[in-house]
Amino acid sequence: MTQQTHSTTENTMSQAVSIPLTQLPRGKRATVNAADLDEQDGKMLRAMGLRPDASIQMCRLGEPCIVSLSGACGGGCRIGLAKDIASRVMVTPHSN
Amino acid sequence: MSSESPASSPITRHRTIAVLGNPNVGKTTLFNRIVGIRAKTANFPGTTQEARVAHITRKEADATIESVLIDLPGIYSLNLDLSESRVCAQCLDGTAAPSGEEAHKPDALLVVLDATNLMRNLTIVAESIDRRLPTVVAVNMIDAARRRGIGIDAKRLSEMLGCEVVVCSARTGEGIDELMHALRNARVPDRSAPSDQQGIERWSQDVYLNACAPLDTLDDDHVTDRLDRAFTHPILGVCSFALVMTGLFYVIFKLAAYPMDWIDGWFGVLGGWVGSLLPDGAIKDLLVDGVIAGVGGTVIFLPQICLLFFLLALLEGTGYLARAAFVIDRLLRPFGLSGHAFVPLLSSHACAIPGIMATRAIPDRRDRLAAILIAPFMSCTARIPVYVLLIGILFPARPSMQAIAFTGCYVLGASGGLLTSLLARRTILKGRSRPMALELPSYRIPDLKSALLLTYDRGMVFLKKAGTLIVAISIVLWWLGAYPKYETPTLVQTQIGPHMSEQEVAEAERFNAEQLELFKESLPSYKTFLDQIGGFVQPVFAPLGYNDQLTVGVLASFAAREVFVSTMAIQVAGYDDIDEEGVLFLIENARRKDGTLMFNTPTAWSLLVFYVFASLCLPTTVVTAKESGAWRWAFLQLGWMSFVAYAGALAAYNIALMVGG
Repeated sequence: MTQQTHSTTENTMSQAVSIPLTQLPRGKRATVNAADLDEQDGKMLRAMGLRPDASIQMCRLGEPCIVSLSGACGGGCRIGLAKDIASRVMVTPHSN
Repeated sequence: MSSESPASSPITRHRTIAVLGNPNVGKTTLFNRIVGIRAKTANFPGTTQEARVAHITRKEADATIESVLIDLPGIYSLNLDLSESRVCAQCLDGTAAPSGEEAHKPDALLVVLDATNLMRNLTIVAESIDRRLPTVVAVNMIDAARRRGIGIDAKRLSEMLGCEVVVCSARTGEGIDELMHALRNARVPDRSAPSDQQGIERWSQDVYLNACAPLDTLDDDHVTDRLDRAFTHPILGVCSFALVMTGLFYVIFKLAAYPMDWIDGWFGVLGGWVGSLLPDGAIKDLLVDGVIAGVGGTVIFLPQICLLFFLLALLEGTGYLARAAFVIDRLLRPFGLSGHAFVPLLSSHACAIPGIMATRAIPDRRDRLAAILIAPFMSCTARIPVYVLLIGILFPARPSMQAIAFTGCYVLGASGGLLTSLLARRTILKGRSRPMALELPSYRIPDLKSALLLTYDRGMVFLKKAGTLIVAISIVLWWLGAYPKYETPTLVQTQIGPHMSEQEVAEAERFNAEQLELFKESLPSYKTFLDQIGGFVQPVFAPLGYNDQLTVGVLASFAAREVFVSTMAIQVAGYDDIDEEGVLFLIENARRKDGTLMFNTPTAWSLLVFYVFASLCLPTTVVTAKESGAWRWAFLQLGWMSFVAYAGALAAYNIALMVGG
């Protein structure tokens, strides 16, 4: 199921630049495209709010990588991700 | 069911209300606000998951309503393959209930949301609506949302969800009365929600955009950013973690000393008082030397255990612990453990059993087995009494050294566990650990009431243990130590008290040793069961510096580690009456048969290291076998920990002998 979602979102986003979360500079905003994770990790992240089309902001790079899910949560929740996971989450940086 | 019975006759109606929500939404604070101290913690049988359960009785004109409120574990979704998600789903299906409660579908469901994270929280609302239970949605933390400029239209939200929505703040008490009213009139939602993940995501976005004034500008929270960066910094993060933990234990030692003195004194007075009331004989000995000495030697640690849980609860409330989890993750990863092991290993610092059971949350099997194997290396609360006793002997009246030694014990135990994991991940459990993802809750001022309630809960659990298991073991040990009875000549001993001068103490000690020698000589065959057991096993522990009595203390610890202190109290009190002397004072100054101090410095070090490493806990071995699915893991754990403990204690004893001599 997770795989299906990934392929559709990847298709719709194909014209925009997609980079791993670990390459998003600090303070920069982006939209989540897809995540190449196993089913349980993927489901967990989605339930936590890190899901396709969610708007995020990078708060801290490295280990752990901390992102703010302001838009996706409707407020300001933060998620800490191990570098291994963050590098598998693909995002499209906002142009501004 | 029963709540739908005719309301005309004066009857008692029963209602079960389940409380569901994401982690970090203030669910427990709200629950405590509703029920106060009437709640107790109960396990879901066969799981590690706990729920707080409260019974509330309310009179209405026509009936008495008895409500049971169940505060379920915080979860992100009912459909995740995690122990807490399964328990919540089963509870809502009526197939599971906390122990002591009947399993049936709840009569009402209260879903608690965080107003500052509304969209993400709507996932669980969709899953709840799908259950077709009478539902009320509480939008909590509305005060925090207002401060951030987040507007929520409760009426619109209620229309879209098809059930009652109440905005409230557990912290200020706003909206609680309305919430209670809504719960009384809860109805099955008249709208439906999608049940597939993508559908839910689209639905929650739709609901959110319709019912809230969406916040399109992200508020850059510089304070949180800075704190996060500091607390997860490779060096600063580790330093602050070490500082926080040392500070924690320093406060525990410093503050707990006063109530401990009082308790020590009270049990001394109690023993003297009971002793003066009863005629000499077996009953008096049983009560004074067995029960009062044994329980007194354990209950004395209640203040420290309460303080530990209180401070940890406060620390968790600040939001710091989630950051610490990542610091720990970085530390654990090289040893083949994931940050997922942080919660199980932290729980193991309370008790290895819930810790081992909490490893079910670790997704990877090898990660999980490694965590199970090393969980008992973490210093559990049962070790605290032993640490306190031995550290008190090693560093009398030096709280700062005591705090360092105490932290040292924790570090030593954890290091033993980590090295074991490293060894295991290179040999029997080859592989790398799985990376971690965790929500970082906002920094907050911790909720004092919740922390106090949790402390009260944990304290009662400890007291119950002291009142049952420890009393039983105390009585058995007293019996083993007192029988077979012989007609004994009176042993003349001078009491040594803290009021005496050094010279007086020395004189009294010499006198006591002489008398004891005479006494022993007059009784060459006087051996109780305990002496016999201790004497038989003692040669094994002789290289570690333990005499017969210490050997008995170590052996008795297999039932539960804290029994060591009560066992020593009984054995020491068996030689002498407790009177008004404190139990600890007696233990600290106990003598061996040759008149030297029982707890001399090398022996105290050796015992301390032994207790840090040894798997002296029968229930842990059983739980390990159950959770790992094979007895071989349990025996491996027991054998390995015993080996490390013996080797470590031997080394500590000899190093201390060399340094001291």
